[in-house]
Amino acid sequence: MHGSMLYSTCLVLITGLIYAESSLVNEEVKRAVDLSTHLAKITAEVLLSNQGESAVHSFIVALEPELAPHLAYIGVSVKGEEDEDSHLELKETTIKDQSGKFFQVQLPSSLAGGSKLRLQVETVLSHVLRPFPTHITQAERQLVVFQGNHYVYSPYPTRSQTTRVRLASKNVESYTKLGNPSKNEEIIEYGPFRDVAPYSQDAMKIHYENNNPFLTISSVTRTIEVSHWGNIAVEETIDLRHTGAILKGPFSRYDYQRQSDSGISSVKSFKTILPASAQDVYYRDEIGNISTSHLLVLEDSVEVEVRPRFPLFGGWKTHYIIGYNLPSYEYLYTLGDQYALKMRLVDHVYDDQVIDFLTVKLILPEGARNIHVDTPYPISRVPDQLHYTYLDTFGRPVLVATKSNLVEQHIQDVVVHYTFNKILMLQEPLLVVGAFYILFFTVIIYVRLDFSITKDPAAEVRMKVASITEQVLTLVNKRLGLYRHLDEVVNRYKQSRDTGALNSGRKTLEAEHRTLTNDIASLQARLKAEGSDLADKVGEVQKLDGQVKELVFRSCQEAERLVAGKVKKEAYIESEKSLANRRQELVTRIDSLLDAL
Amino acid sequence: MVQLQVHSSPHHKRLLRVPQLVRRASVVPLGRIVGGTVYPGLMVTAGLIHYVLNLLHVTVHIRDVCVFLAPVFSGLTSISTFLLTRELWNQGAGLLAACFIAIVPGYISRSVAGSFDNEGIAIFALQFTYYLWVKSVKTGSVFWTIGCCLSYFYMVSAWGGYVFIINLIPLHVFVLLLMQRYSRRVYIAYSTFFIVGLVLSMQIPFVGFQPIRTSEHMAAAGVFALLQAYAFLQYLKDRLTKQEFQTLFFLGVSLAAGVVFLTVIYLTYTGYIAPWSGRFYSLWDTGYAKIHIPIIASVSEHQPTTWVSFFFDLHILVCTFPAGLWFCIKNVNDERVFVALYAISAVYFAGVMVRLMLTLTPVVCMLSAIAFSNVFEHYLGDDQKRENPPAEDSSDEDDKRNSGNLYDKAGKVRKHVSEQEKSEEGLGPNIKSIVTMLMLMLLMMFAVHCTWVTSNAYSSPSVVLASYNHDGTRNILDDFREAYYWLRQNTDEHARVMSWWDYGYQIAGMANRTTLVDNNTWNNSHIALVGKAMSSNESAAYQIMQSLDVDYVLIIFGGVIGYSGDDINKFLWMVRIAEGEHPKDIRESDYFTPQGEFRVDKAGSPTLLNCLMYKMSYYRFGEMQLDFRTPPGFDRTRNAEIGNKDIKFKHLEEAFTSEHWLVRIYKVKKLENREPLDHKPRVSNIISKQKYTSKKIAKRKRGYIKNKLVLKKGKKLNKKAV
Repeated sequence: MHGSMLYSTCLVLITGLIYAESSLVNEEVKRAVDLSTHLAKITAEVLLSNQGESAVHSFIVALEPELAPHLAYIGVSVKGEEDEDSHLELKETTIKDQSGKFFQVQLPSSLAGGSKLRLQVETVLSHVLRPFPTHITQAERQLVVFQGNHYVYSPYPTRSQTTRVRLASKNVESYTKLGNPSKNEEIIEYGPFRDVAPYSQDAMKIHYENNNPFLTISSVTRTIEVSHWGNIAVEETIDLRHTGAILKGPFSRYDYQRQSDSGISSVKSFKTILPASAQDVYYRDEIGNISTSHLLVLEDSVEVEVRPRFPLFGGWKTHYIIGYNLPSYEYLYTLGDQYALKMRLVDHVYDDQVIDFLTVKLILPEGARNIHVDTPYPISRVPDQLHYTYLDTFGRPVLVATKSNLVEQHIQDVVVHYTFNKILMLQEPLLVVGAFYILFFTVIIYVRLDFSITKDPAAEVRMKVASITEQVLTLVNKRLGLYRHLDEVVNRYKQSRDTGALNSGRKTLEAEHRTLTNDIASLQARLKAEGSDLADKVGEVQKLDGQVKELVFRSCQEAERLVAGKVKKEAYIESEKSLANRRQELVTRIDSLLDAL
Repeated sequence: MVQLQVHSSPHHKRLLRVPQLVRRASVVPLGRIVGGTVYPGLMVTAGLIHYVLNLLHVTVHIRDVCVFLAPVFSGLTSISTFLLTRELWNQGAGLLAACFIAIVPGYISRSVAGSFDNEGIAIFALQFTYYLWVKSVKTGSVFWTIGCCLSYFYMVSAWGGYVFIINLIPLHVFVLLLMQRYSRRVYIAYSTFFIVGLVLSMQIPFVGFQPIRTSEHMAAAGVFALLQAYAFLQYLKDRLTKQEFQTLFFLGVSLAAGVVFLTVIYLTYTGYIAPWSGRFYSLWDTGYAKIHIPIIASVSEHQPTTWVSFFFDLHILVCTFPAGLWFCIKNVNDERVFVALYAISAVYFAGVMVRLMLTLTPVVCMLSAIAFSNVFEHYLGDDQKRENPPAEDSSDEDDKRNSGNLYDKAGKVRKHVSEQEKSEEGLGPNIKSIVTMLMLMLLMMFAVHCTWVTSNAYSSPSVVLASYNHDGTRNILDDFREAYYWLRQNTDEHARVMSWWDYGYQIAGMANRTTLVDNNTWNNSHIALVGKAMSSNESAAYQIMQSLDVDYVLIIFGGVIGYSGDDINKFLWMVRIAEGEHPKDIRESDYFTPQGEFRVDKAGSPTLLNCLMYKMSYYRFGEMQLDFRTPPGFDRTRNAEIGNKDIKFKHLEEAFTSEHWLVRIYKVKKLENREPLDHKPRVSNIISKQKYTSKKIAKRKRGYIKNKLVLKKGKKLNKKAV
């Protein structure tokens, strides 16, 4: 512990020495300033050499104080021989008595005394191209002014440097002529300047025509909603503004339609590239679907031609929402309960995009815990929120982060680690099941039970009578069934001539018939007690039934006589027929009586 | 994604209508307090559904609730139509009626997804109120009547059409009295309904004291008084001899009628009761609006209905419903009297105004269902085992049975030991099948027509126009939203937009900007002022626009794509409405040619060719050649080459024109610091006055200001300054 503190103090001392001594020298700087879009992209190839004795572990990259507020991106890489450039880590520092922005760059391996290293410093500045004049009419062309530095702003002396400025067009109003620069079409070359002192500045001013659309995303809110059911929904709410020269005077649709160079710096449409697996893309705003867009599905991406509702002229703004679904298997990695989501923190909206302010909202599934975020570059976190969507009970955690001034170089992946118990996925289906269960159960309870406050005696009696008649009906049917049963027994007897079986069958019929008749009689008594006139009808049924029974027994006897040979077959058939007819008649009457019950 | 359909399209304008949900940007100088002047039912319903769903964490957007409110309520309408028809006839007719109302175009027009409209929920409330009323007349139970009152309360909160209920139900009671069908049930039902309904309806802020102060509601009160008198006389009848009673009866009735009549007249005269409003006069006298209130007549929905639209909206039902009405009248009972009155009055109102077609539709569906059901019952009879066809009290029987069983058991069909073949009355199988086939064909054609109308007329939003190319591909003309969104994004938040009132809601809703007049503006003179600005020349219009503090003017121009509902075609209404208020400045005849034609070409009247509307519509249009066959500046809507191609503005400038020129927005320039002179300064040889110096101030050779207030320093009192 103590030792490490000592060590760090040593380190501070050493770095202090470096600043003081600065044995580093920019041997050769080739700077390319690309002003062909609405951004200023400055790429400087630096040959750094260590003139001192001791090895150097880090060096400083500086930015002019005038340009510092516009800085969107800065990156330093070592120019490799063959393999790809390796990006170095930057840390912002300050230097005493010097204004501007400074970054300390850690070298991959220490630079020994006398050795050299080729580096590439890439800087992207936004909003440095100032439209001048600030207001133009529809027919006019857009002129912009760039104000920079002829020299490379560095804490180290520079031996030799050249600057190559690429403009958007060859029409240049004016440019500073330090060191007699050469101009060829849209390229101006300054230098070489030799032996430039550290921190030297000399205003470079170029006033030229730039009809590129100065499109700026003034704010974008990117919402990524992760569902463990296999979908990631992405929605971007975008505020767009044309930050070029402001349109002065009328906007004439006639000129815009008829003359091709009218409103040359306006934005008609642009292309947004979405991930290849994007589905269900929508493009809309507060008042509905924007019908002027096209979707092109390519092999490695989905291209949306976004056309705002109206062409964007200088100073005009618009607002829209674009959203799509992604399959989660491409972005969500899992190991047991551990999940990792790897998504772009910010995605492509249009080429050379400038985002003034970005808000990212990451909605994780309900119940995600131990959330940890790895961002590719520093981004400020806002306190987490809770989001409620369909059937959520305690809310989904929402990670919110903001950052301002972003460009294309910021399209990088963010990784979110969290743990999630898979059982929780069942929560919502169970909730629905439970809700329906309760609903149906209440309906069942309500329907089965009587909740009326007052008793309705008439209805009560009616119900009682209904239930009794129901019982009577079943009993009568059963009784009629008994006769059929006996018929079968008789038929069998006719073949087998087993008198015992017949007698036993008859006996069982007798017994069962008696119980049933008694039951019906008791029910009839109850009906009478209820005061229902149905009792009479039941009595009638009973009477008829007695007749039926009689007939049945008679047919039984006939059969016995037949078997015993007392009757001839023809006579038997005749009598059987008449008996059956009479029975049929009686049964029909019983039926009609029962129907009336 | 559902496209929000804004129903108030340019040609389906409704006047005096409740606004849509969002009314942030109200009318500027002559706005009204939205809270107290709208029927809150629609918004409360949508808000309540949204609140409950969100309480259960079903996080539906309020917009989605609004979009699907009308379809959900049309489902409820179907159910209540079924119930009502079941009460009137039987279950079969009820089912048919529910099917009819589910697809009939006259109601589909208000119940498509996205039509967030008062009528959408009001028709449900109407049908349900009527169902409960019929139920309460049938049972005479206070329970059903209170239900009816609550339903009526909902109707009052939802739509101004509640006046229909509060007049139809008293009419029903009155006719029942005339038909000697008075019963205790009617007395209970109506007395409860009138008192509770009256109190409830007065709870709606917008309705307030209207139910006791306007003539529209007086019929209900009169019938209430009459019913009380009648009941009292009925009571006396038991106590008195016949002779006494007769004299008393005539005396009592004539006295009561006289007193009521005189009271109403007295109250109207003293101003306690407001006389009939103009809208109601226009219901009796169809020509009234055209003469007195051009603004009401200018709305296409307020035109008398044509036969075509009857057929378009109701198709075969319009032919079959008289048959149903005849069946009802033939087997009349208390509730069938009601449906007959409903049908007759609704037919009348639908004939007066296209808009009221909506109240006719449900009753037509019910009566047609009765007719169809009756025919089918007769001709599909062989399947039926019922001994007596359900004519009078089949529904009652059903009821009894239902109330007997607490729940429906799956019907245990008893096996008949014996099956008797019952012979039907003599209808040959041929005639049966032919009639059945014919009826089915009619119904099929009806279904086909309904689907066709629904898909063609009511399924496309009217803010987005679509045109079809020769090869069938579709072109979407989204100009309205383009321009409105431009207004929303690129004008000052407090900018005031002047446009004809048709677009007021659209501008408020989609552009989120303040308008001068909109679909709900009550002040006719304000609309007339806008009409005057549109129909005056530029400098006169500029003065009006200055006084109204207008920043932008928005017009609709269809000349490029041939859109007929544009402002030039509506222009004569603007002129007429302006003339109504400012007869000195605007005269309709000035806008016609001497032959009495309204034309935009060279032969048009010079007043027209130089008015603001014309200039704004055709600004720079004269340079535009749409076609090789037509000259530049050829207006496709009116098929004429425009008469004034050299249009210059002094006080306006073009701010935005949509892609197909459908919407044009002009910016009203602010007054310049110094008015530039149209003519050169007068040159004279009078020597400049600067050389003249008065003797008094000649000593000081400094410049002076003419008429400068001279500050006199204090002097002694005795030396008075003159």
